[in-house]
Amino acid sequence: MFSLRLALQSVIKEKWMSLLSMLSIGVMLFILVSVAVIVYNVEKLTARLPERLTVMVILKDGVTSEENKAVLAAIKAEPTVKVVTFVSKEKALDELRRSLKKDDFILKGFADNPLFDSFDVKIKSEGVRVDDVKRLIQKIKSMKAVDDVEYGEALMDSVYALKSGLRALGLSIGIVFVCSVTFICYTTVKILFYRHKEEIEVYKLLGATRWFVRAPFFIEGSIIGILGGVMGSGMLMGFYYYFLRKLVADIPMFTFMSIPVQFMYLLPAVGMLLGLGGSVLALGRLKY
Amino acid sequence: MIELENVSKTYGGHAALSNVSLKVERGDMAFITGPSGAGKTTLFKLLYLAEKPDEGTITIAGCNAADLKSSSIPLVRRNIGVVFQDFKLLNNKTVYDNIALTLRIRGFMEREIKERVHSVLKMVNLRHKVDNYPLTLSGGEQQRITIARSIVGEPTVMLADEPTGNLDEENEKEIMRIFKQINTKGTTILIATHNRALYKNTARKVFFLEGGILKGEEE
Repeated sequence: MFSLRLALQSVIKEKWMSLLSMLSIGVMLFILVSVAVIVYNVEKLTARLPERLTVMVILKDGVTSEENKAVLAAIKAEPTVKVVTFVSKEKALDELRRSLKKDDFILKGFADNPLFDSFDVKIKSEGVRVDDVKRLIQKIKSMKAVDDVEYGEALMDSVYALKSGLRALGLSIGIVFVCSVTFICYTTVKILFYRHKEEIEVYKLLGATRWFVRAPFFIEGSIIGILGGVMGSGMLMGFYYYFLRKLVADIPMFTFMSIPVQFMYLLPAVGMLLGLGGSVLALGRLKY
Repeated sequence: MIELENVSKTYGGHAALSNVSLKVERGDMAFITGPSGAGKTTLFKLLYLAEKPDEGTITIAGCNAADLKSSSIPLVRRNIGVVFQDFKLLNNKTVYDNIALTLRIRGFMEREIKERVHSVLKMVNLRHKVDNYPLTLSGGEQQRITIARSIVGEPTVMLADEPTGNLDEENEKEIMRIFKQINTKGTTILIATHNRALYKNTARKVFFLEGGILKGEEE
């Protein structure tokens, strides 16, 4: 209790320095969590990408009905597959003709049906990753009766690259900002320690243990971290209410965007841990 | 009891103490005197465990200083009351909080702290200054507060380095009266001073230090 009182007294006494540290930590944690929000939303958006893709399996010309059935059974047995529909080349031609409407005269140039028998494969909506789809495509392509497999490969690859890039960027920014917040706490606590050096000398003469001397600084670092985290949460709430909510309402493209409420609670806890870590580092190697 | 056996301490080739041996019996009040630079402050630093001797053994408050782990030093210091010429009071804390600090460090409950602080303030005749800050007090009063702070934890040994160095004769007498009173309760006291008048009528034992060497002792 005495250590807590000392820590609170010091935060109040050094209010401008504490406030500046808290504000810096708040801004850094806000940027950190903003990156996390972007990564989270891209992950959320791309997680359902496979279900939006239709994989078209083109069969070789002259495939027998047994071979056809074997391919169907093999695809149906795949755990990532939701529905498989056989599309005969006649049906495919009808559909093409319907979609061309008045321009269907183009097809009159062909003596025979130029299309192929195929399967339309729908992917399950839950728990299927882009990698799973890629593996499925490779498996189908290796089947003897299959000529080719078409799907949104370019789109999937770009989304995949974007996701990987964002993850790497998020991780790098995360590491840099975690180190920065820890460094701010480290510096603040070190300055406070040197400002209290004479007081600490007296504590030592009176028989204070290392823990007794250190505890107020650990608590102080944690308080600065927590309050910095609270400021970061406040900025995040402000960002949500004054920017994101309006963006989502005005531009339908961004309707998928959201901020997990856990992030708001998490920031003060992260701030506290980093504050405590900074204090431990600041006092760790000091001899007194 | 305080005992030094063949203690030496050197700083950068300069011998601050050379082969010093002395003994202050339990419950005794002794003085150590000598000119400036004689090694009194070094001796005190060794006694309150701020430094370790290069050679020799030191026994204080029942412990051999050479055998102490650094984690045990704070616990031994709780048995040693220290008084300095420059008081070393915390100027941003009241008289009450300055004295109470000794007990808070030891984890005493607030009720007992209150009782003990008022009791020692009564002993040094400064009960009415309980809510004052140190800088509003005279030098003599500040030194009495320092003494109160050092005895509130009931140490077995008390060390005072030039306790009356900055005080007038009146305050000097008052401080010595308090030391005698503390000594009659069984606390071993060692006072460093170069003021001859201070130990002339008080001391049972005086050690003379010069150039880091113990030149003699008087009973």
